[in-house]
Amino acid sequence: MIDSLTDSLEQYMNVVSLRQKLVTSNIANADTPGYKTQDLDFQASFQSALDGGAPQSAEVTGLATKNDGNNVDLDREARLLAENAMRFSAASNLMRSQLNTVKEAIQGGKSS
Amino acid sequence: MSLFSALSVSASGMAAQRARAAVLVENIANSETTRTTEGGPYRRKDAIFSSEDVSSAFGSELDAQLGGEQLTGVKVSGISVDNTPPEKRYLPGHPDADADGYVSMPKVNPAEDMVDLMSANRSYQANVSAMSAVKDMIQKSIDLLR
Repeated sequence: MIDSLTDSLEQYMNVVSLRQKLVTSNIANADTPGYKTQDLDFQASFQSALDGGAPQSAEVTGLATKNDGNNVDLDREARLLAENAMRFSAASNLMRSQLNTVKEAIQGGKSS
Repeated sequence: MSLFSALSVSASGMAAQRARAAVLVENIANSETTRTTEGGPYRRKDAIFSSEDVSSAFGSELDAQLGGEQLTGVKVSGISVDNTPPEKRYLPGHPDADADGYVSMPKVNPAEDMVDLMSANRSYQANVSAMSAVKDMIQKSIDLLR
């Protein structure tokens, strides 16, 4: 839109929010029998988003399955929840400073 | 791809856990009930959870137009009733005692229900945390407009 950095940031925020949605689904289904944890490969998804592709979610392997067939690990989801929130916050701050730069150029360097 | 649908997912989780907690407190409250409208002692109930595709109230149409992916929420698909024979307790003076002096008591283990209740409580809190994290992210996006 403005330059390649804001485009990258936009895609980054898209992938982070998609991942956050998967995490909220996992937390909501922490007690659902037979539910399998869903997640996405961050690096691969971000790369494909930059190339215009759609990120793919997949079942996570290697988690301990409970007796009811559910394999949600709440500690893992809590970690990802915090991580995604911070990643998103960092990206949105960067985006804001990019936008402020443009705004300043428009206003001819005048303050406020 | 709107984050608002994630709020619906967390809300479905909170609703399901609250329904489960309601069933569990019913079990604890009725752990000594010998008379019910169906006749016989109270029978232990349990909530059954199942996954469900969630669409946010407003966003569903918009998301469909934008090609948004479906998110998985949770719902209470039914209440299971414990139909195993009730526990017999020897209480000859009890008004519901049979000819041999045994009373059919509900098969409810309060300790088990208390532990399940704590688990429901924790899961509810986890959903609240998820919702507030998503809410913060939405707020950050909105702040970009300032």
